[in-house]
Amino acid sequence: MDILFGLCGKGFVILAGDTTVAHSIVKMKNDEDKIKTLGPHLAMAYSGEPGDTIQFAEYIERNLRLDQIRNVHERRPEASASWIRSSLASSLRSRRPYSVNILVGGFDISSAAIVEGQEELGGTPKLYWLDYLGTKVEVPFGAHGYGSYFALSLLDRYHDPNASVEEAMGTLKRCIDEVSKRLVVSPSKYKAKIIDKDGVRDIEIPV
Amino acid sequence: MASADGGAYSYSLTVFSPSGKLVQIEHALAAVNQGTTSLGIKASNGVVIATEKKSPSILVDASMVEKVAEICPNIGIVYSGMGPDFRVIVSRARKSAQAYLKVYGEYPPTRVLTQEIATVMQEATQRGGVRPFGLSLLVAGWDAHRGPMLYQVDPSGSFWAWKASAIGKNMINAKTFLEKRYNDDISLEDAIHTALLTLKEGFEGQMTEKTIEIGVVNVPTAAELEEAKSSPESGRPKRTFRKLTEEEVRDYLAL
Amino acid sequence: MSIMQYNGGSVIAMKGKECVAIASDLRLGNQALTISCNHEKIFPVSDRVYYGLAGLATDVDTMRQRLRYRVNMYTIKEEREIEPETFARLTSSALYEHRFGPMFVEPVIAGLSKTPSGGVEPFIAAADLIGCLNFAKDFVVAGTASDKLYGVAEGLWEPDLEADDLFETISQTLLNAVDRDAYSGWGAIVHVITKDKVITRKLRGRMD
Repeated sequence: MDILFGLCGKGFVILAGDTTVAHSIVKMKNDEDKIKTLGPHLAMAYSGEPGDTIQFAEYIERNLRLDQIRNVHERRPEASASWIRSSLASSLRSRRPYSVNILVGGFDISSAAIVEGQEELGGTPKLYWLDYLGTKVEVPFGAHGYGSYFALSLLDRYHDPNASVEEAMGTLKRCIDEVSKRLVVSPSKYKAKIIDKDGVRDIEIPV
Repeated sequence: MASADGGAYSYSLTVFSPSGKLVQIEHALAAVNQGTTSLGIKASNGVVIATEKKSPSILVDASMVEKVAEICPNIGIVYSGMGPDFRVIVSRARKSAQAYLKVYGEYPPTRVLTQEIATVMQEATQRGGVRPFGLSLLVAGWDAHRGPMLYQVDPSGSFWAWKASAIGKNMINAKTFLEKRYNDDISLEDAIHTALLTLKEGFEGQMTEKTIEIGVVNVPTAAELEEAKSSPESGRPKRTFRKLTEEEVRDYLAL
Repeated sequence: MSIMQYNGGSVIAMKGKECVAIASDLRLGNQALTISCNHEKIFPVSDRVYYGLAGLATDVDTMRQRLRYRVNMYTIKEEREIEPETFARLTSSALYEHRFGPMFVEPVIAGLSKTPSGGVEPFIAAADLIGCLNFAKDFVVAGTASDKLYGVAEGLWEPDLEADDLFETISQTLLNAVDRDAYSGWGAIVHVITKDKVITRKLRGRMD
């Protein structure tokens, strides 16, 4: 039932997710943060089987943290996403696979990712769509859950890779509003995070 | 150098002596140097490997003693040193060649198979509870990548590619002889004769088809390869290594 | 619905005269929902060998990593680049290793092999998900549009096409076949491998 959105703009990437935790027809909680910060310039939004999501997200969080302690430098988003993918792929063929869908948002600050003529951005925004099978694909925008059936067509129309933060939040708002309007079991609240050259931080969704 | 009894370091194979040697490996080389002479020569259109075959008694059926062995249709090997160890190596090498065939659909190149054998021999110098192999090998083969090749493998697991080499009892004399006789555009026929002449130096007893074993690698012509390629599913690849029959050896000796 | 159809996508390879071509669509879906229209399924092994993987996207990725590992080890050990035939056998044995719990991918291989006389000869092959190889003289196909690809290729392909004509033939075959398949399409990529270069072009298909 969870809904996740992710979209890249000019020099940043935004992740958003609803805040509902539900058990069958009952809402248990409506302030759950489904986005985990994984590093200085990396975050992931996750959804799926309730126990699996937290277990897997913490496993990823701690291993990436260990990796950063060992190597001092943070891993690039592509490498981190690849590692998350292989964790999901090997889990898929294990005795009890994790059932977790993920959007990984990162900001690549390595010198190779700094685009000529756009040095002030300090790197490149990256967004990866991963499902519980271990499917990984880099996308300009992505969504998981029932929201994807409404949002992807909106994003096809309104997404702009050169959008400012305000414009991108406007697009995100369109998606959220559309889901609220059309989905029978639509969630009431969302939380969003933005990742850019300055790191990961919460961002208010405009009313 | 190790003392006559090997000294304090000769028991544990995997312990270096203070001079930086693994004396068991040197003892293995000593076993090789007591073995009957074997040699190999690379020619422009092939490779020959040959060895002297010694019977402890005239009552032994020498035709059943095999010192030159085919590993796969393009590779053959010969040894100097301990016969029983050779059987182990032959069976390991044949298995390795078949495993390669199973994965890649073709037999291994000479270099790859040699490396595989060398790995087996190296492992016997580092593992606990085993002794090194008491033999040196000459590996002769042909492959599309490098053409005809001749390699030598020692008990330590080192290996080299040679134009011509000799191992065993008479190795030093044989190598000196080969150095004088060898030239880069020698033909396979000439190489076989040179091989026999070299073996003759220091040969004990009569050189006959019963006391000599020869294996040859023939480089296939472009036409032969083209033909084999046009019918890849028709069965076995063309044989490039083969052992000479007693009749053929007799004919070469008669010349 | 079969797991082979979960993500969608199709690959085709064709022989020409001293050249081969391999092409695929660019869609990645989640059943009927399209996730990405820039998802490549064809990967290079060397300058002379390319291969494509159709099927479950997670296994496509895993298989690509496994084959890359095995080819890199081969290249270092043998000090030479792998021949297309050898790569086909390697792929087949890598797939058969998982005979009773297969990777859900069907590979299509295209390359130029060296002849004993020093020339090149086109080579194509395909395999099923457990590595049963199919060496064809004309073309091989895989993926959700494979039945349509067979039909169109049967009509358009002819022997001994030059690189330019082969490009046209494979492009038209792919684009027209995927137009009749809901799970493939959204643009395509074509590689034509010739003696001295590889020509890669992206095609725009019907984006609907």
